[in-house]
Amino acid sequence: MTTEHMLRMGDGKRVYLTKEQILTDLRDGMADAVDLGDIPELSGDELDKLMDIITMPSRMVGVEAGMEVPVTHDIGTIRLDGDQGNSGVGIPSSRLVGCMVHERAFGADTMELGHIDYSYKPVKPVIAQEMQTMEVCQQNMVIPLLYGAMPNMGLYYTPDGPFENPGDLMKAFKIQEAQESMEHAAKHLTRDIVWIMQRMMASGADGVNFDTIGAAGDGDMYASLHAIEALRKQYPDMYIEAGMAGELMLGLHGEMAYDGTVLAGLWPHQQAPLVAKAGANIFGPVVNTNTSKSFAWNLGRAVTFIKAAVKASSIPCHVNMGMGVGGIPMLETPTIDAVSRASKAMVELAGVDGI
Amino acid sequence: MSKEETFKLLSDAVVSCKKDAVVAAVEKAKSEGIEPAEIIEKGLASGMNDVGIMFERGKLFLPHVMMAAGAMEAGVKLLEADMPKDAAKKKLAVIVNGTVEGDVHDIGKSIVSTMLQSSGFEVHDLGRDVPLQDFIDKVKETGASMVGMSALMTTTLPGQREVIEMLKEQGLRDKVKVMVGGAPATQTWADKIGADCYAENASEAVARAKELLL
Repeated sequence: MTTEHMLRMGDGKRVYLTKEQILTDLRDGMADAVDLGDIPELSGDELDKLMDIITMPSRMVGVEAGMEVPVTHDIGTIRLDGDQGNSGVGIPSSRLVGCMVHERAFGADTMELGHIDYSYKPVKPVIAQEMQTMEVCQQNMVIPLLYGAMPNMGLYYTPDGPFENPGDLMKAFKIQEAQESMEHAAKHLTRDIVWIMQRMMASGADGVNFDTIGAAGDGDMYASLHAIEALRKQYPDMYIEAGMAGELMLGLHGEMAYDGTVLAGLWPHQQAPLVAKAGANIFGPVVNTNTSKSFAWNLGRAVTFIKAAVKASSIPCHVNMGMGVGGIPMLETPTIDAVSRASKAMVELAGVDGI
Repeated sequence: MSKEETFKLLSDAVVSCKKDAVVAAVEKAKSEGIEPAEIIEKGLASGMNDVGIMFERGKLFLPHVMMAAGAMEAGVKLLEADMPKDAAKKKLAVIVNGTVEGDVHDIGKSIVSTMLQSSGFEVHDLGRDVPLQDFIDKVKETGASMVGMSALMTTTLPGQREVIEMLKEQGLRDKVKVMVGGAPATQTWADKIGADCYAENASEAVARAKELLL
């Protein structure tokens, strides 16, 4: 009887596949990345190693000794306190406690202070509270503590913001007006991020984490890159981590460019040089998980994309690993079998500098 | 210029997303005596098909699709006078599309609506966060033969199942095909709730709609 190995589908469902089926999925996933990104294939040895990682009998796996990389957490400050509505575990605790537990008990190498609304715009009215919390956290912690939030340019459009919603304008075929609305929103977003970070830096922050750049399309990335540029100019020594929202930069505007490169349609290996050029220290590439494909397909694809991004990047790459990204199935609490295997593959094969 | 070259010119003009280029290409095709139906089918629609493929591959995006669709519409308008009455206005089928209640994600669903429209379907886009009863009401109002439902969160996904149940309760299920989509949706989910099809992206949505309705 042929041995079957327990894997997951991209939606988390358990499946049992033979080695031949796993290899086919690995190759197909890799081929998809090669085709879309016009990037090199993995070698035969690398595919063999991926196969070894996937079929290891242990419930969870770890990297080889000496290959450990730093790990950082984004919304971790409120993961303890938050209830199931935001992936938290509902343990009453302050954000300071959340940060300190991650530092002292969970082994986080860097940490981020974030607000429950977790976008830059809503931080403006509570900036005094954020400044005070940052200061208190810094007084109690040793590891680098960044301030983090999502650029989330969607909040600048109606009904949440002052500019007409490009989605509504496009439905009415007002394409130029939609593009203008995105350009206005981008300027405001850049201005707000810089304003907030000036205050957080004054409160002792070690830097900033841009979480999910491009979630609202190419205008979101345009605004973020300009904010990075402005912050780097003002704070030459601050840490700037630029994490992406997805693998492909969606062109909701379609024509916005940074440093002469049109942002729409960029894959991780093409995003990396622009992020470095803007002045970030760390690039956080993303590869999305396809919920209808197996873990092997998704991991083959994700490692192929990220390996190319690491090669193209002049700054360290800390790959996004979690629910629905990095080959990991899309589950509210991702399973340790998939998380640990995907993480090991990213470190040992894609060569990421951190997670 | 051969007929094939003219069709290529028409197709390339649509892919360029420029209205002026499409209008010029249609005028040229007309002056060469090519039938309007051929100009549309082998030239403009073929170009729109290429736009769909490039969209799927991340080479073109929603504004480009919209501009290409607008350019194609301008081209078709130039041909309407030469076409049999009603032929220009005839739609393939009526589809009601929306993002289910509790879910404010709009972009993917809007792209699907645009692609379906560009492919010749009459689409009634209900928007996002749509009360489930509105899907039923719109089907009754328009006589739609398909309902498309998007959900981007695991918490809103059950709304798709509820609409299917409501269609059954109203005696409409046999008359209406149901398509579901959105990041957490899968073929397995579609099978589980009794949807007629699952589409992973906009191009697939068009293909599935054509398979089921034409």
